[in-house]
Parts: sequence; structure tokens; C-alpha cells
Amino acid sequence: MKILIPVDGSPNSLRAIEHVIQSVAELKEPPQLMLLNVQWNVAGANVKMFINQQTIDDYYREQGMAALKSARDMLDSDGLPYQYHISVGTPAEAIAQYASEQEVDRIVMGRQGQGGMQSILLGSVVNKVLHQASAPVLLIK
Amino acid sequence: MLEMLSTSQFWFDVSKIIVIDLLLSGDNAVVIALACRNLPEAQRKKGIMYGVGGAIGLRIVLTFFAVSLLSLPYLKLVGALLLLWIGIKLILPEDEAHGEGNIRAEAHLWGAIKTIIIADFVMSLDNVLGVAAAAHGSVLLLVFGLLVSIPMIAWSSQLVLKLIDRFAFIIYAGGALLGYVAGEMLVGEALFKALLEGQPYLHWLVPVMCAMFVLAMGWWLAMRKASIVRAVDLVDGRVPAKLDAEL
Repeated sequence: MKILIPVDGSPNSLRAIEHVIQSVAELKEPPQLMLLNVQWNVAGANVKMFINQQTIDDYYREQGMAALKSARDMLDSDGLPYQYHISVGTPAEAIAQYASEQEVDRIVMGRQGQGGMQSILLGSVVNKVLHQASAPVLLIK
Repeated sequence: MLEMLSTSQFWFDVSKIIVIDLLLSGDNAVVIALACRNLPEAQRKKGIMYGVGGAIGLRIVLTFFAVSLLSLPYLKLVGALLLLWIGIKLILPEDEAHGEGNIRAEAHLWGAIKTIIIADFVMSLDNVLGVAAAAHGSVLLLVFGLLVSIPMIAWSSQLVLKLIDRFAFIIYAGGALLGYVAGEMLVGEALFKALLEGQPYLHWLVPVMCAMFVLAMGWWLAMRKASIVRAVDLVDGRVPAKLDAEL
């Protein structure tokens, strides 16, 4: 069973990891865990006139690895194998895209990520994932 | 001069300047944050400081230049048309090709500073025009607005600014504001002075129409351009099951 856990480093996304760790024992076979962090694409064509792609990618990589760190630490300390992935784009769309590319069986995510103002104005990532992903989505409170 | 500070018109105009400046500075903020990444840790702060300082100076000079240019006949008309386009462009989604450029990363302090300043020069023209238009030729307004907004750009440059323009509501409001300012400039064009005489309602009707024009055009073009931008894969890693667990 492939389980995708989108991670933005927020406490809510870590609760999703916690839930998955606890429920591993209930599954018949050890699941294939996949962590995904999505970095907003902040560099448009204008920025690329002045900053090279490698510098921009380094920035995404650094931010992405920082966001994944706590989640990875939790899985590491439990000795669970997993894959991790960082992609660049719009969070909800990128999550749905990765889920379908990897044919995951389930998406487990926090009910709310880096919410607040952002989710009011942008529409929450969770909402969009619910609509766009074809895999079942499990929301963790 | 001081009584100006207590009028609501003054504060309305100042907030127009700040909003326009913030909305059109996203790319500049990203360049500031990224240009110094390849510098040794100790030089990064210095690079940002000098780069921003140079950019501020340049921006102020350019804005004053724009204000004096706008007092010439016909140029307000040209400026207004440009502003309408800038407003529409703010609403349109950006091209986000993930291509390899051939720019080399600057690993020297002066290189990074140069990048920040040149980028600011190239990318702040829209900004300068918008701010100059919103100031209606008032130097006090201009200086005040720039003094407030430029530090906001420089020191909140943790790329947060760029995210502002992801909020659909904000960019549409910003587009409408730019349209409104363009309309005000159009009304101020000496060429149309005779036309406007005795019809004071045009002084608000034209800006409102321009704002609506930008909204409608922006919305229509954005709909046509709407295409799904694929997410780009950047890092793929795997932590295998521990060997000792298998043994």
C-alpha cells in the first residue's frame, strides 16, 4: 500500500505522520510511505533574467529539506523506510499530480497546513486536494 | 505642508503608493533574496544592505525623473496607457518555464550587489511609473510613500512578498487600483482639459471605467491563458529499511 503524506513542516502535517506511524501495525503489509514537500514557484521569467536556475533550485532544496526534517526524524527514529520528494509548483496541484503519477492508494494529510490568512485568500490546500486527487484522502485533526 | 498630513486624501494617496509599490516589487524582492545566496555567510548581510541601498537610491532618482517627465504634454496619455497594460499584466499568470539560463551565479560581493541594482533598474520601471502616477506630481507624497514602502520590500524580502501576488483577490484589487490611477492620469492630461471642462463627474467616472476595463481585460485574458502548469520534480530520495532489521 502506497501512502502519500504531504508535509509542509507545520505541526498539523506532523500529526499526519504520527497517525501513520501509529497505524502501520494495523496494516497487513508494511506500507510504502512517501513524503512530499511542495515549494511555491517564486521565480518567474523576470527573476530568471538575473538569477541562474541552479541558485533558485538550491534555495528550493534548502527550504524543502528544512520542511521535511521533522517528519523524517520521526520516521527515522521509528526505523520506518520511506521515500521523500520535493517538487516546485502550486501545492494542491503538485500533490494531486504526484499522487496520480505514483499511483498512491491513500493520501494522509493534516486538516490544515500553514493556514490562517493564506488559506482564507487562497482556498485551503486540503480543499483543493480533495477535489483534484483521485486517491482517497484521510484528514487528521 | 504639515496640514497636508492631516487630510484623509493625503493618507489615501500614500496608501495607494505603498500598495502599488508592494504589488509590483515581488520579483525585485526575490532577486534580492537570491542574489546573495552564493556569497560566503559573512558577506550575505552586507551584500543585501549595499544592494538594497543602491537600489533605493536609483529608484528615488528614477521616480523623480518620471514625475518630471509626466508633466510634459502627451506623456500622461502614454503613461496612462502603459499603466493600463501594467495593471492587466499584474492579473495575468506568469510564464513559469523551468529552463536553464546562462547566467552565472555571483560568488563575489560586488557581483551580487551589481546583480541586485541592475535587476532593480530593469524591473522597477513599471513600479516607478505607477508610483509617479499615484503621487499626482506631489514631491512630499512621493518621498513619504517611497520611504515607507522601500524598506518594507527590502527587509521582508524573505520571498513572502512574491507570494502576495498568488492571492487572486489581491492581484485583482491591485489591477483595479492601477487602472484607477491610470484613469486619474488620463483625466490630468492637458490635451483633454477642454473636454473635461464643466463635467466634473468625469473626474471619477473615467478612473472607475479604467479600473473596470483592467479587471475585465485581465480576467478575460487570464481565462484564455489558463493552462495547467505542471509541478517540477526537484529532489527524490529514499531511506531504505534498516539492514539490521532484516537480518
